Amino acid sequence: MNRKAVSVMLSLSMAAGLLAGVPMTAGAEEVQEITWMFWDDLEASEDPITQGFAANIERFNADFEGKYHVTPITTTLEEYYTQLNALVAAGETPDVFIVSPGPNLTDYVAPGVVAPLDEYLEADGWKDTFSSDAVFTQQTYDGKIYAVPLNIAAACCYYNKDIFEEAGAEVPTTYEELLDACAKIKEAGYTPITISAGTAWCLSMLAGYLCDRSGVDLAAINAGDESWVQDKTIAAGEKLLELSQYFQETAAGDSNDDATMAFAMGDAAILIQGSWAIGQMNAYNPDIEEKCGVFQFPAIEGGGDPGRTIAKSDSLAVSATSKCPEGAVELIKYFTDDEAQKYTAEVGGKIPVTNVEFDLDVAPAQLADVMDVFSNATGTFGFYNESLVSSDAGSEFDNEMVAIFQQEKTPEEAFQAVEDWYAEEGYR
Amino acid sequence: MDKLLRDKKAIILFVAPALILFTVVLFIPIGTSFYYALCDYDKKTMTYHFIGLGNFIRLFKDKTMFIAFKNSMFFLVFSCVSQLIFGLLFAALLTNITKGRNLFKNVIYLPCVLSSAALGLLWAFLFHAKVGINNLLGAWGLPQPAWLYSTSGFITLPMWVIAFVALWQYVGQSMMLYMAQISGINKSLYEASYIDGATKKQAFRYITLPLVKPMIGTAMSLNAIGSLKFFDLIYSMLGDKTENLKMDVLATYLYRTGFSSKGGNHYGRASAIGVILVALCLIATAVINKIFKTENYEM
Repeated sequence: MNRKAVSVMLSLSMAAGLLAGVPMTAGAEEVQEITWMFWDDLEASEDPITQGFAANIERFNADFEGKYHVTPITTTLEEYYTQLNALVAAGETPDVFIVSPGPNLTDYVAPGVVAPLDEYLEADGWKDTFSSDAVFTQQTYDGKIYAVPLNIAAACCYYNKDIFEEAGAEVPTTYEELLDACAKIKEAGYTPITISAGTAWCLSMLAGYLCDRSGVDLAAINAGDESWVQDKTIAAGEKLLELSQYFQETAAGDSNDDATMAFAMGDAAILIQGSWAIGQMNAYNPDIEEKCGVFQFPAIEGGGDPGRTIAKSDSLAVSATSKCPEGAVELIKYFTDDEAQKYTAEVGGKIPVTNVEFDLDVAPAQLADVMDVFSNATGTFGFYNESLVSSDAGSEFDNEMVAIFQQEKTPEEAFQAVEDWYAEEGYR
Repeated sequence: MDKLLRDKKAIILFVAPALILFTVVLFIPIGTSFYYALCDYDKKTMTYHFIGLGNFIRLFKDKTMFIAFKNSMFFLVFSCVSQLIFGLLFAALLTNITKGRNLFKNVIYLPCVLSSAALGLLWAFLFHAKVGINNLLGAWGLPQPAWLYSTSGFITLPMWVIAFVALWQYVGQSMMLYMAQISGINKSLYEASYIDGATKKQAFRYITLPLVKPMIGTAMSLNAIGSLKFFDLIYSMLGDKTENLKMDVLATYLYRTGFSSKGGNHYGRASAIGVILVALCLIATAVINKIFKTENYEM
């Protein structure tokens, strides 16, 4: 065979190879692509909520095969807003993305990055499936709903019943009783409280509880009617410092996962976390489910209402520039339908946002206790770092709480720094 | 060929693609960054407003910027000095041995070609509070240092740890540069010195070092620029904890200021940090070139 013949044959085979790919793309042209962005790895995560989300997407893709196709964009929780902001800045906002209500959502509502969803919620009775209109409170701006909540999580105190019993500690209802329980647990050779200061929002959540229990009026501070530097905030800061003697030694560098694992493995007696941690701790160690009890964050004598609970929801928003808003909304419905919401409660350990009926006996044992705390709550409030005037203010608050914990600043200095930040940024 | 090189049209034609590409991907973005450094980015309207030197004035008063600057300077000095010493030492030792030279050369150079993100995670596990080295120390009943989360001291322990990891990763690059230079030195110079009674140490001091000096300038400039831009190892080892652990360097602070949910979306201020970074790289290179300016010897 001469050279010319060989080269012709090779050219033909290459062309045939190229054409072999054509039918795959030709059929795919009609399928509308929907990008969905989330803060956990759908395949690698052990978090049941994440696994449930992966299943929802799988169901959607199967049901809408040939019409819509969802491509997930996943990051770590720490990297999430960094990546999302980069995509928004590049004009490539994902069609659907998860977002925390509060200043984070405001950052996308104000410049018109996300679209109002009222029209879709009202269209076919979708809104009526939700447990109440109140679930949309944090997602509503000027009467318009900009994100759909998927679940509610309440921040509670989880405790290891075995360690409490061994140490002779009682479940605390007041701050003094909490200190007493911590002292006994430490005496018994266990870490009383496991927390992450490396992941600043965890420490900030505890600081938020201490501020609220001390009677801090956050709305008044945000409005400029009160200063951050006041007796109540400083008392909360002092209590944060006082409690820090009962944290694990590695709290400064531990991540949220490290702290949760220490509780799940029975190394620490108390974990102050949202109910999203239930699935995670049970995945780390299934034995913890039976040993784990839940109590409301203790009261501070002479302080604020002790019945208030920190509540947070995961919400999905739709890009205002989405080329496929109908598909995006259809996708969100797969996160709020009965199958998804039942899973949320029975497997994920979070409180559903719809009227779905679920079997509490099938759900993680801790969920009943969390729901008990939640239903007995006199009111809810958000994470402090998500309830301030902006996400930057929340970041400043987080950093100053870490500074108190690391004893780099006194509570007075730390809250003065937050107040100064408000003044410098024009909020005073 | 000579005819072709005399044809100006041909020269323009050959140079144009590279020049256009460079302009699009390098010169225009750098110029734009300089402009954005003089603007404030409004998150609500997603627009830029010209504020002159406002970003630079704010950064000048910013405590985190001071920490980032201090840490970057530490990396710069540590990297330049340690890589000079160890790079030269390894190069001198390996050029003087024949058995196992390639093996050691490859072992020392290997971390250079590996992904910094992967290496960062590996070292993060080794220096983790509970596993890795601390697990071993705990088993022996020894104290377990807070390798990656201590915040005490002007230069914190995590800074030293990460500087050590960076040295381990990049010393091979310096070593290769010095080895190339040492290999080019005429052997007759050494032979002549030995005939004159010089010891190996004296030959190194009076022949190797002066002839390697031009390469020291080059290697040190690369180290200086690399350490000022230093980002990947720190980020993969500490993630978003850099601020609370006082571990920011200029590049991590730039990244957070620009993109992070923690005080991010300030693209103007991030561009200003970028401009400062470029200026520092130029200053460091100029200073090093001035210090190590030498005449080229015939080797």
